[in-house]
Amino acid sequence: MLSFVPDSAVKTQALSRTFEGGIDAVRSVDLDIAKGEVFGFLGPNGAGKSTTIRMLCTLLPPSSGSAMVAGYDVVDDDDEVRKRIGVALQEIGLDPVQTGRELLELQCGLYGIRGGAGRERAEELLELVGLTEAADRRTKTYSGGMKRRLDLASALVHEPEVLFLDEPTTGLDPASRLTVWQEVREINANGTTIFLTTQYLEEADELCRRLAIIDGGEIVAEGTPEKLKSDIGDDVVSVELSGADAERTKAVIGDLAGLDRIVAEPEALHLYVEDGASSIAEIVRRLDSAKIEVGAISVARPSLDDVFLEATGRRLEGAGDETEDEAAEQDQAAAKAVAP
Amino acid sequence: MSEVLLLGRRAVREVIRYPEATIPTLFIPLFFLAVNIGQVQKTFPSTTPFLHGQGYVAFQLPVSLMFAVATATTGLALVTEIDSGYFDKLLVAPIRRTSLILGRLAADLVRGVAACTVVLLVGILVFGAHVHAGFAGATVVILLAASFGVAYAGFGILVALKTRNVQATNTSFLLFFPLLFLSPNFVPFDRLSPLMETLARINPVSYVIVGIRALIIDGWVIDKILVAIAVILAMGVVLLGLSLRAIATYDR
Repeated sequence: MLSFVPDSAVKTQALSRTFEGGIDAVRSVDLDIAKGEVFGFLGPNGAGKSTTIRMLCTLLPPSSGSAMVAGYDVVDDDDEVRKRIGVALQEIGLDPVQTGRELLELQCGLYGIRGGAGRERAEELLELVGLTEAADRRTKTYSGGMKRRLDLASALVHEPEVLFLDEPTTGLDPASRLTVWQEVREINANGTTIFLTTQYLEEADELCRRLAIIDGGEIVAEGTPEKLKSDIGDDVVSVELSGADAERTKAVIGDLAGLDRIVAEPEALHLYVEDGASSIAEIVRRLDSAKIEVGAISVARPSLDDVFLEATGRRLEGAGDETEDEAAEQDQAAAKAVAP
Repeated sequence: MSEVLLLGRRAVREVIRYPEATIPTLFIPLFFLAVNIGQVQKTFPSTTPFLHGQGYVAFQLPVSLMFAVATATTGLALVTEIDSGYFDKLLVAPIRRTSLILGRLAADLVRGVAACTVVLLVGILVFGAHVHAGFAGATVVILLAASFGVAYAGFGILVALKTRNVQATNTSFLLFFPLLFLSPNFVPFDRLSPLMETLARINPVSYVIVGIRALIIDGWVIDKILVAIAVILAMGVVLLGLSLRAIATYDR
């Protein structure tokens, strides 16, 4: 059992979930999220993000380990947890039969805000998410972005201490994405702790004070975006191989001064170096004298994608695009599967 | 309690806004009422002893009322809600999980009363049935049938929660056919073949039909009415008990 940690909004210890058939969706996840933080869970589809959120929201019991949310245990004090959290899951849970206003008023009622107070709160939230004009239309007529915003509003009726957002911008156009980001910032500015999952590096970088990278159900890196990036080196020099032999190329430039390490991809080598600009000159000189012809050579600051590559050996962006829907379905299905 | 009312109001709203889901459930009982009367009324004229001077419509009305309330509508609404993800949103709210079921059943009662009123009025106004137990008896007829519908809805809810599958929930409705036809639905118990009579006598739905039929044809036959009430209560306790347990342990 975990001890009460007043400064933690979310704290987990060895949180794990195994589904029927022995699928380890989440493996021994330790998290400690401070009150008022925006914490991001970054990972590809099927990494275990949704399953983790469902456990923290009391929708799914952990197979082992424990979790405290807003100071209460998600299994023993699930009622107390539910009073203090707001949830917008990846699958937008809206009732198509109700209007936006009716849905929010019902939601208010379920959280004990009834009568005039409920009507007032619903109006306030409709304004917050810019849906006042569409308030009296049934939600089935809403666009994807409007549905997301209404779902977000419905998670906020009771001013939750901790807000869980499972891929809040997946499937949104860039403009709607920016709107959601702005809303997330405003909600956080009012003191709400936010735990969000995302598969977008830019979103994690933009919104999260701290983040964890999850892959295959395990946390593979954790920290502030800046620290994660600076940990892997100062500059990244990328050498496109364009048919050149990777091993030979590596041998020629492998003992470069200031080189921390090389990460190889099939079509490129990434060199993590202290000073990118001066390294480029040396690399070109060495390749030239060894008569190795390569493609473009570029230098950049490390991105979260480099952090992901470093931690998992794969790129996040574009990774598994072909099977994205399938993986998303698997994660959803796993998250929804009946407890064994 | 108030959360049950809130959820019930929403479920009623769903019924009103989706008339295409309710109207077919009214068409079937009225269709069978018309067809059965048309086929059998010459065979069983009002001089038939078990009709006590009424037309055959009086004998068939209880069966049509059963048809009107025994639908998969609630199970289907629930499984659709699970599918859409809205159910998760409700589960995350700080309410008793059982309220989610009770709210739906409250709406079932409202829908059942409305549907039975329509069927009974058609039986009286169009086919000339007469409720022997009078206006109060007609009210009891409607309440008995609607309560049976609420108890029976527990079955659809159970299938919806256990399978989380729209098709399975939809086909669960088919179970009602044996329950309805292995009963004294066309003739009284004593006119059935020995095998049919045995099956009909172990079928609980038979006693609900017999109780309602007594109110229409014979008047206040207290023992038959009490047996019908007892059967409805027993069905309700078992099916709703199982449903409430299923939702309490849903993903737990």
